[in-house]
Amino acid sequence: MSESGQPSGRGLRSVIILGGGTAGWMAAAALARVLDGSQCAITLLESSLIGTVGVGEATIPSLPAFHALLGIEERSLLAATRATFKLGIQFRDWRAIGTTFLHPFGPYALDATHELFQAYWLKRKEEGQPSPLEEWSVTGLAARLGRFGVPPPNDSSALRHLSYAYHLDATLYASFLRTYAEKRGVRRIEGEAIGVTIDRTGRVESLRLRDGRSVGGDFFIDCSGFQALAIAKALQTDYIDWSHWLPCDRAIALQCESAGEPAPITQSTARPCGWQWRIPLQHRVGNGYVYSSAHLSDDEAGAALAASLEGAPRSDPRLLRFKAGRRDRVWVGNCLALGLAAGFLEPLESTGIHLVQTGLARLFAHFPDRDFDPVISAEYNRLTALEYERVRDFLILHYAASQREDSPFWRDCRAIHLPETLTYKRDLFAKTGRIVMLDGETFQPGSWLAIYTGLGVWPERHEPLVDIFAHAAAAAGLESVREIVRTAVGRLPAHAAYLKEVTRLA
Amino acid sequence: MPGSAVRKIVIVGGGSAGWMAAASLSVLLGRRVEEIVLIESAEIGTVGVGEATLPTLRAFNGSLGIDEVEFIRRTQATFKLGIEFRGWNPARTFFHGFSDLGPDMRGVSPHQLWLKMRAAEDERSYADYSITTVAAGLGRFAPPIPNPGSVLGSYSYAFQFDASAYAAYLRAFAERRGVRRIEGRIVDVRLRPDDGFVDAVLLQGERSVGADLFIDCSGFAGLLIGRSLQAGFEDWSQWLPCDRAVAVACARRGEPTPFTSSTAREAGWQWRIPLQHRTGNGHVFCSSYTDEDEATRTLLESLDGEALAAPRLLKFTAGRRRESWKRNCVALGLASGFLEPLESTSIHLVETGIGRLIELFPDRGFEPKLADEYNRLMARSYESIRDFIILHYHASGRDGELWRYCRNMPIPESLRHQIELFKASGGVALLDRSSFAEPSWVSIYFGLGVLPRRHDPMGDLIADEALSREFQRRARIVRGAAESLPTHGAFIEKFCRAAT
Repeated sequence: MSESGQPSGRGLRSVIILGGGTAGWMAAAALARVLDGSQCAITLLESSLIGTVGVGEATIPSLPAFHALLGIEERSLLAATRATFKLGIQFRDWRAIGTTFLHPFGPYALDATHELFQAYWLKRKEEGQPSPLEEWSVTGLAARLGRFGVPPPNDSSALRHLSYAYHLDATLYASFLRTYAEKRGVRRIEGEAIGVTIDRTGRVESLRLRDGRSVGGDFFIDCSGFQALAIAKALQTDYIDWSHWLPCDRAIALQCESAGEPAPITQSTARPCGWQWRIPLQHRVGNGYVYSSAHLSDDEAGAALAASLEGAPRSDPRLLRFKAGRRDRVWVGNCLALGLAAGFLEPLESTGIHLVQTGLARLFAHFPDRDFDPVISAEYNRLTALEYERVRDFLILHYAASQREDSPFWRDCRAIHLPETLTYKRDLFAKTGRIVMLDGETFQPGSWLAIYTGLGVWPERHEPLVDIFAHAAAAAGLESVREIVRTAVGRLPAHAAYLKEVTRLA
Repeated sequence: MPGSAVRKIVIVGGGSAGWMAAASLSVLLGRRVEEIVLIESAEIGTVGVGEATLPTLRAFNGSLGIDEVEFIRRTQATFKLGIEFRGWNPARTFFHGFSDLGPDMRGVSPHQLWLKMRAAEDERSYADYSITTVAAGLGRFAPPIPNPGSVLGSYSYAFQFDASAYAAYLRAFAERRGVRRIEGRIVDVRLRPDDGFVDAVLLQGERSVGADLFIDCSGFAGLLIGRSLQAGFEDWSQWLPCDRAVAVACARRGEPTPFTSSTAREAGWQWRIPLQHRTGNGHVFCSSYTDEDEATRTLLESLDGEALAAPRLLKFTAGRRRESWKRNCVALGLASGFLEPLESTSIHLVETGIGRLIELFPDRGFEPKLADEYNRLMARSYESIRDFIILHYHASGRDGELWRYCRNMPIPESLRHQIELFKASGGVALLDRSSFAEPSWVSIYFGLGVLPRRHDPMGDLIADEALSREFQRRARIVRGAAESLPTHGAFIEKFCRAAT
């Protein structure tokens, strides 16, 4: 029999988190919340001497749900992390120089199914009445017009479909979560891990620190970033290299003063050898150039980035080196990797923080005891692999479907031999308009439609169901969607004004 | 010919699959397709034993705008809350109901909570928390109320009906919407010489009927998809060795039960499906372990009432057509695959096939990638149901030659993974979201006595006493709710009695 909160028998007595970047403190905060009332001790080891990567400043709409789980109030988050709201990504010069399209969050056409909407939208285009996708969703139109407001919880208007995430300062976010976690009993150890001790059964026994101390525990979460101290160096997992599909391997990041009010969108601008992000925060703008070192030198990238800033630089440029891919196993024995220690996918669709969050959700759904049954970690690894591969394919599509041919980099992208799963998807869409959803998808049909059509991939055939659906669509009120969306978005304040109001109250 | 719409559809065969397709296509494509023809021969009997269904049939009927009460009266339907399994676990009878064991606590599934209580030596059966199990045990039924927060709003139901009457009902429905029925027996299929597409079916009396799209609902015969287009068949009999069924209807005794019964036998199992006017019975068996006479005798000896006809024998092979959609032909129902009726999935698979055909509807170009995607999705549906059915045999503790074979046979890798994961953690990995969900898998695992080595450690965050109190409360509420329902017979009598 167990008393309240007592781990019975084989329950975890301690969790050690290695690394205190965004991933580490997200893990600490979530564990503190979920294990509230248990006797399981949570410890996070970090060194203030080691910088965090902390450039993953744009997020996707799963993050508000994570905060809801933690019981974090939006206002205090906005104030603490100097965050702004994000409704989607604007892609500039991706299809061809001079073109722009939006990838807004969330589905289109209010309550209609995606299939119905898509058939109807394609038919309108064929009939010569094309209208940008974003006009069909409150999220999209608000993104285009720079408006924002969180609808009240019981809102029955079209605004209840508004789907949003944040742009935030990842370093401030980590310290915000640190405060949260420490308040809930997470113990922070200052120190630098230099090695991992593995016991005779192949499990992690302890972390060795530079000052000679060692930190032992039942379960270890490796959030040590690219270094992957436990999962790679000690446990010898392999890295599955995807750089032949995602050729960018460097990023140079630089903050600058903002030239105007923050917009509720991330901008991604295709460049001759990669692409550039622009992420507006309350007090500054984050910029970065993601590029292929085979096509561009670091100096050239830095110069190109510096030349494109809208305001005075606020930091020194930071160079990051990476290789797209994932660990073949992210959970081995009593050690789980999250964040950059688990894999790397470039920030083109802002999935970095999201993948940490789903990694945690998956951990809670497959929570171990001290037996660390390998069947459970195998299932965790299977699901993680699927998720990474689906996001990978979505990212590759951006490069592979671009029509740019103005530089060696883009010409090389056109020659990429796609993964089979992506070929299957793209061909089916191009031939028939069907959007294939495989197991483990992060991005839903509306997102795929935005990227396909934004990059100029349109279905070859007239969707036979369009005419059938046209009737149903009329019945479902699709004709009136744009009008309803316009009216609803018209009631929203400007993003910057809303932000000021909310943060003033905080 | 991309860009050119399908003008004419011919459906071959008029059993439940054929008329379901005709009814559905006439509603959804009515404005688009010039002509929908169904060819059937009154001489050829339909199989029509798929008399028990899954709750998805209600959505299918709903999409046609069918009035449920009228449907029930016309098909002699009764209500089904699940399936009772007798003899599958030698220790006890168990129930697979269309409900779960109640809500999560702190994100922990109810079956994990029950495992935790069990670990704390609380011996109560998980069945006490399942509203469908308790209501079925009491012979009670009423449709769920539209309040998912209430235990009386947290279950679903299906029907047990006369499949021939359903086909007839849908025939009238489809004919009213312009579907033309041709009486005739198909003697040959003509393929286009250039591309091997089906050009026309040839009927006795030298008639031929052409179309753009053919839907093969010709049952086991697979006249178009198999015989003519050679779409191949994946044989699954090494996992599902039963290959015969003998079926007979008998007079009903007492009130109809709001559930189907499945009783394990020496060389197979026996179904019992109560309708309003009679009870359907059948014995599914493996011909390697018993013969037809013996199987028939076993069936007739255990009927509730007198047999109403001579027993009918069916022969089958478990498996699936490699391509249910090939060129301009889509197979539905038994023409596209066979899985024994242990979990009443055959009509469900027809619904799934029709739904996906409509989603992926071709034009006269018949883009092969549409067929690829259709076949990919259908393969998953068939395989996940296959695995679920194999589990019943493989995990059964019953003695006998067939049962020993099934216990020791190598099983599909996908199922092996499922069972290992469940044994390790109580987790259920769903390989196909349109098929049986977690509560169904848990019902069969628990029912057959397959228990995980541990419970979800997150459950340990809930104190034993609080958990025990909560589950006592749930059991009380479930029992009270079930007892508040009318008997199944009384409900039918009051609301939907068939005209005799």
